[in-house]
Amino acid sequence: MTSNFDTRRRTLLAAASLVFFSICVPNGATAPVDGAQTAINTVANFDAATWRKLLRAGPRPAAYVFTNSFCATCPEVFELLQQTTVAAGHTVELAAILMDVRGERALAHAHHYVGVTTIYAFDGFEPAIRQAVDPKWHNITPYVVLVGRNGKQQRVTGQPTAAQLKAWLG
Amino acid sequence: MTQRQTLLHLLRLAMLASGLGALLAQAHEAHGAPPQAAASVPAKPARKPRAQLGIGAAFAPDRSLWVVALDADNRLFVQSSPSTRPLRWSAPRVLDTLGDAISADGENHPKLAFGPKGYAVISYTQPGAKPYTGMIRMLRSTDGGQTFSQPFTVHTDRQEITHRFESIAFDAQGVLHTLWLDKRDLETAPKVGNKSSYRGAAVYRNTSSDGGASFGPDTKLADHSCECCRIALATGPDGGLRALWRHVFEPNVRDHGFAALTTEPSAPVMRATFDDWHIDACPHHGPGLAAAPDGGYHAVWFGMRKQGAEDVAAVRYARLNADGSPVMDSVRALPDARAEHADVAAAGQRVAVVWRSVDGMTSTLKAWLSHDGGQTFGLQVLGRVSGDNDHPRLAQQGERLVVVWRNAKEVQVHDIKF
Repeated sequence: MTSNFDTRRRTLLAAASLVFFSICVPNGATAPVDGAQTAINTVANFDAATWRKLLRAGPRPAAYVFTNSFCATCPEVFELLQQTTVAAGHTVELAAILMDVRGERALAHAHHYVGVTTIYAFDGFEPAIRQAVDPKWHNITPYVVLVGRNGKQQRVTGQPTAAQLKAWLG
Repeated sequence: MTQRQTLLHLLRLAMLASGLGALLAQAHEAHGAPPQAAASVPAKPARKPRAQLGIGAAFAPDRSLWVVALDADNRLFVQSSPSTRPLRWSAPRVLDTLGDAISADGENHPKLAFGPKGYAVISYTQPGAKPYTGMIRMLRSTDGGQTFSQPFTVHTDRQEITHRFESIAFDAQGVLHTLWLDKRDLETAPKVGNKSSYRGAAVYRNTSSDGGASFGPDTKLADHSCECCRIALATGPDGGLRALWRHVFEPNVRDHGFAALTTEPSAPVMRATFDDWHIDACPHHGPGLAAAPDGGYHAVWFGMRKQGAEDVAAVRYARLNADGSPVMDSVRALPDARAEHADVAAAGQRVAVVWRSVDGMTSTLKAWLSHDGGQTFGLQVLGRVSGDNDHPRLAQQGERLVVVWRNAKEVQVHDIKF
């Protein structure tokens, strides 16, 4: 038998979770399983605290692609990740984190990041934020962090391998 | 408040916090529309763009030090400091750029160069509205920088494609050389699936014998350069220029190519580094090059190389032979795992390698100095700042070497003391 108190508590917890999720995924929607591109019209700020928050309580599974406005090798990674999620029939967060531009210049990249669900832009001194993400990362892009359903992280510079993708969504 | 009211209140709060309401509305309206259209309508007030601190520095023939950069309002300005009163800067002089957007960040920064007959030129990349596109723009002066023309596009090719990461220099004969990364060959290469079969970009160049009043045709220096790194230039013993750039060797090895800027339509590319770094990614980290008195060169670059089973990333230094091939036993890593964006200059046997080393919000300007042509080096710390700053840029006037380093508050100039 469920008491009124329990029902209220569950409702409040569900609503609070939604608030928390909304804060962690500021402008996005998870990638639809049919692969259709979602229109994105905002850019969220990204700093060391954002990253800690996403790793602790962000959506799972998720892929975070750190990129740059003139990274010519980055769009291919989005294609690969999107194909992988569609093939697996999973709904996932696929975030682009622009390191060198923000605002409209960051949004201008949304349309050629296939399957992207959220756009972030570095807000602060780029090397300091980068080192907070990974102290050994030398600004090579794409830098990809795959977060599995269980929170397990895989960090890849360049294209993830088939084995890494399998481990991510497996 | 009832349970339902509480839930609705929290839902509203959730949608407010995420912009989800706006997103849903936009998604509905944009259904079937090109994503670009939706992307062009920001839902939030635009944030002020990040400050672009990229600076260019050069000595004028009268030994005064000049810098060119963007101010807080993204306007291009020049300042100079006379040799008789070092570090007493003139007031910033804003130049007319016809409203061009200007790249002035990291590897893509404004540059200036002085030539004979009072020639001075300033160059920058004007990013296009389409991602990865840009034009190389230039302003010229015939009175030593007292006045500058309005900007003009340097290359003949006017397609809305990549023309970025330019480098400029006058050779000993007073000919102005402009080099840039260019994707015209990628655009026309056959596709495999939806990908181009062309590897990387290309290095194109042109020359001007009248200080930028007119230019020869665009010619290709090399196919298959990396797409996102600066090009280094140095003057050889014959007065001609040499270029060093990150190259994509087959199949995806991002090492470095070296070539002389001769009148030959296609100079051979010499492989200058052998990190054997296989990667399909952008390092955003170009090399540095300086001439040595024996006809060879000093080079610095970033790369990843196998050491045992481990991939070791480092900024490395090596001597190059006159043809650009490496002197193999001269390769060594800089003594700093956090070194980035190193530059090199030399005056006789004295060699200076400078770089930025970042630890969180603190950046340290370091120099590795040699008195014996790069055989041995000693480390010096030249400065330290907190917060945003540019890469260090070396400028040289004869024996005088300075590092120009801009941060959010000031431009520091450090004379290198050997």
